[in-house]
Amino acid sequence: MKQQRYLFKILALIMFGLFLLLAVYGGYSISTYGNRWFSFSRNPRVRAQKQTVIAGDILDRNGIVLATTVDGQRVYQQNEESRRAVVHLLGDSQGQVSNGVETFQTSYLYGFQTPLGERVSTLLAGETRRGDNVTLTIDSQLCTEIVRFFDRHSLTRGKRGAAVVMNYKTGELIASISLPNFDPMNITEATKADAGQPFWNRATQSVYPPGSSFKIITTVSALDNIPSVTGQEIACTGGLTVMNQTIHDYGGAIHEKLTLREAFKKSCNNVYAYIAQTLGDEKLRKTAESFGFNDNFLFRDLVVENSTYPTTNRNEFEIATTGIGQSALTATPMHMCMVAAAIANDGVMMEPRLLMNVQSAAGSTRATFQSKVYRTALSAENAATLQSYMRDVVKSGTGTSAAVPGLAICGKTGSAESSLSGSAMTYGWFIGYIENDDLPYAVSVLVESIEDGEGGGSTAAPIAADIFTYLKGAPSP
Amino acid sequence: MKNNEKRSLRRDPGRLLSSTVMLFFFSAFLLLFLKDYAWQAAALAVAVPAMIWLGVNLLPRLFPADKLLLSLTNFLCALGVLVLYATNPDYAYQQATYYGVGLVAMVVCIYLVRIIKHWKLPVLLLMPVSLALLALPLLIGRETNGAKNWFYVGSLSVQPSEIVKLSLLLIISYFMSRRRLLPWLIFAVGCLGLLMLQKDLGTALMYYGVTLMLFYASSNNLLLTGVGLAGGAGAAVLGYKMFAHVKKRVAIWQNPWSDYDNAGYQIVQSLMAIASGGIFGMGLGLGYPQTIPVYHTDFIFSVICEQFGVIFGLCVLLMYVAIIWRGATTAMAARTSFHGLLAMGATLMIGLQTFVIIGGVIKLIPLTGVTMPFVSYGGTSLVSSMCLVGLLQGVASLNEDDLNEDTRLAMLGSQEGMQ
Repeated sequence: MKQQRYLFKILALIMFGLFLLLAVYGGYSISTYGNRWFSFSRNPRVRAQKQTVIAGDILDRNGIVLATTVDGQRVYQQNEESRRAVVHLLGDSQGQVSNGVETFQTSYLYGFQTPLGERVSTLLAGETRRGDNVTLTIDSQLCTEIVRFFDRHSLTRGKRGAAVVMNYKTGELIASISLPNFDPMNITEATKADAGQPFWNRATQSVYPPGSSFKIITTVSALDNIPSVTGQEIACTGGLTVMNQTIHDYGGAIHEKLTLREAFKKSCNNVYAYIAQTLGDEKLRKTAESFGFNDNFLFRDLVVENSTYPTTNRNEFEIATTGIGQSALTATPMHMCMVAAAIANDGVMMEPRLLMNVQSAAGSTRATFQSKVYRTALSAENAATLQSYMRDVVKSGTGTSAAVPGLAICGKTGSAESSLSGSAMTYGWFIGYIENDDLPYAVSVLVESIEDGEGGGSTAAPIAADIFTYLKGAPSP
Repeated sequence: MKNNEKRSLRRDPGRLLSSTVMLFFFSAFLLLFLKDYAWQAAALAVAVPAMIWLGVNLLPRLFPADKLLLSLTNFLCALGVLVLYATNPDYAYQQATYYGVGLVAMVVCIYLVRIIKHWKLPVLLLMPVSLALLALPLLIGRETNGAKNWFYVGSLSVQPSEIVKLSLLLIISYFMSRRRLLPWLIFAVGCLGLLMLQKDLGTALMYYGVTLMLFYASSNNLLLTGVGLAGGAGAAVLGYKMFAHVKKRVAIWQNPWSDYDNAGYQIVQSLMAIASGGIFGMGLGLGYPQTIPVYHTDFIFSVICEQFGVIFGLCVLLMYVAIIWRGATTAMAARTSFHGLLAMGATLMIGLQTFVIIGGVIKLIPLTGVTMPFVSYGGTSLVSSMCLVGLLQGVASLNEDDLNEDTRLAMLGSQEGMQ
């Protein structure tokens, strides 16, 4: 009996343990995923609340009203060009764009966060309740300009693509656009049937092969894992044959002997495929994962599609092409902007932010938000090396068209190929940043289906240059 | 006089608790009454606190009982009636009736435990009867949600596994306390086999868990318990491979969002409801709990969280923890091995069932359709949960009797010594 009593105690403790597990798991998942579950477009509670609460305004960092409610109707900016430029960030009142501010910030905009006291007083006063006003970190003017930049250059005019601008010190998102866009005040059947899928946010929802812009990560892995790699010269024969398939260089170039710095500047595929083979899959994957590949992105303000470093079907050829950003590697323009930002910020990758503050309709501050480190992607020492390599790219390498007089621009171009839907498509990439403490901006530009013979340097880099020029003239943060 | 009252309050935390609980439900139903002035709400505002008073304050006059345990179980039963009224009043009226029936059933169980001194005959009788009951749904049952565990008596639906729960406890406690392995093992395996055939895997999991835990407590044989655990895991894998609907449940559990309109619908609605409630809830009678499928049985915890908030949900969890604590204390104070095992078994049954269903609705484990004890809508479920408490209270009252007897004898002894 005495022993039985003791064992009963153990059983009771096991049960307590199970209930503790319930409480901890429940608390964890609600605090981590709660807002994602709640703002899910199928939540009938949100739809119902829209009938009884006047949605709050959405403003940009300069106080420009991007969305407001007039007589129960959701109204966006007067100017069509302006409202189209930010439509993917904001979303639309129909919920066609997923996870725009209009849906993801439902809990503020539709007053789910209003304290009880305020609810009661509006009820007693017989007024209709108003949701909170949300101020974004976005410069909506810049968003409009970026769409114009795409239109300004003949090689990018009418192309699909995306661009992201963020403050690499704070993670604040300054601009994010996706093309093609649409008019949220005039959604027609034609918009829905458009083959360009205008509702799709290419900056955060679409994943692309990063191409040569991934060489930043291959370089970091080489610096970490291959002793005295910076002193070596590696031969480029114009074609590296792996498993009976030859990896060619862009434009069929033959670079002969190259140091790592030169190979990065010229974006030599031969050398980088060779480096990837030398590193091996394991080490390269570790470095990519330290940059956030294969992580489940759970940012507070944004829903970003996860980036993948492939873990299946890994043969020598796949490993070699991973080194040049091909194989089954995928990343969003948003994540690649974070990669450039991490280099600029001495290795520290900030979590992208979209919310500046939230205010009640009466004007009192409901919430303010702090910047948060997402992860330390690389050492400050390696970051310094990469910074000088990326400076070279813009000064005298593949990215010269991103240069802006009077600014120290660093960057990396990329031309990625995919043949997922049968027909081959080339994507032009440029990711880079301004090396200036007063203008701490990182940029990522992606252009879809660029012409034959063109690359990221001739398509995406000029748009980046336009963005940098705009930022130079804009007031500092 | 006043001093006396104060002292009695201090000595008896259950009484203060039950007053608070009665006040809570009175005001809650009053609030719902003010919403649409339905007389039924007003009636429940009086009836439910009255039932709590009956259950907590009147019963202990018949025999010594654990008042804290009574307060907790009555609170949970009344909470079920309240939440059901806020979502679908028709269910609430029925549930209130079942609550009354449950109170009576509880008293019957308490008396049975107190009166019956020789359990051999009842146990031997119960064994074939229980197995026959469990086999009935296979012959005349109806299938719901992939499981065939119901049958109808007239218009009344009966879930025999809820009733057999009680006899299972009596049977295994009886044989385990007498160190006879074979009879209970055959019975338990028979029950599990029948439950597997009905595809009622949630209940099978509970039966299995309670039996294994009681075996461990009665034998202290870690090796054989380990073998039992491995056997259970093997059966689970086999069940996963054999039954398509088990595979489907596991897939839904892993990612309900991938098919939120069809297979994942239930759990997605549940998670959305909990997330919408937030910390403090949408408010009693507000929100959209009706959009969760089977909100009144399996998902009633999600409804509670939506209406009252996650904080309140945690409090409900704490109440079950307190029930387990009181149950384990009762089991530890029991004078015979049989009564100890019976009390512990009832406690474990309530605890495991709660864990299985709440774990399911918050996506900790795959969802299996068992009810939340005391709270979920359902006559068989509520009455059988109350019977479990009855068994527990019966043992508690025997403990109390024995303790009083000891004190009396000790006092007699000391008086004799003085003389």
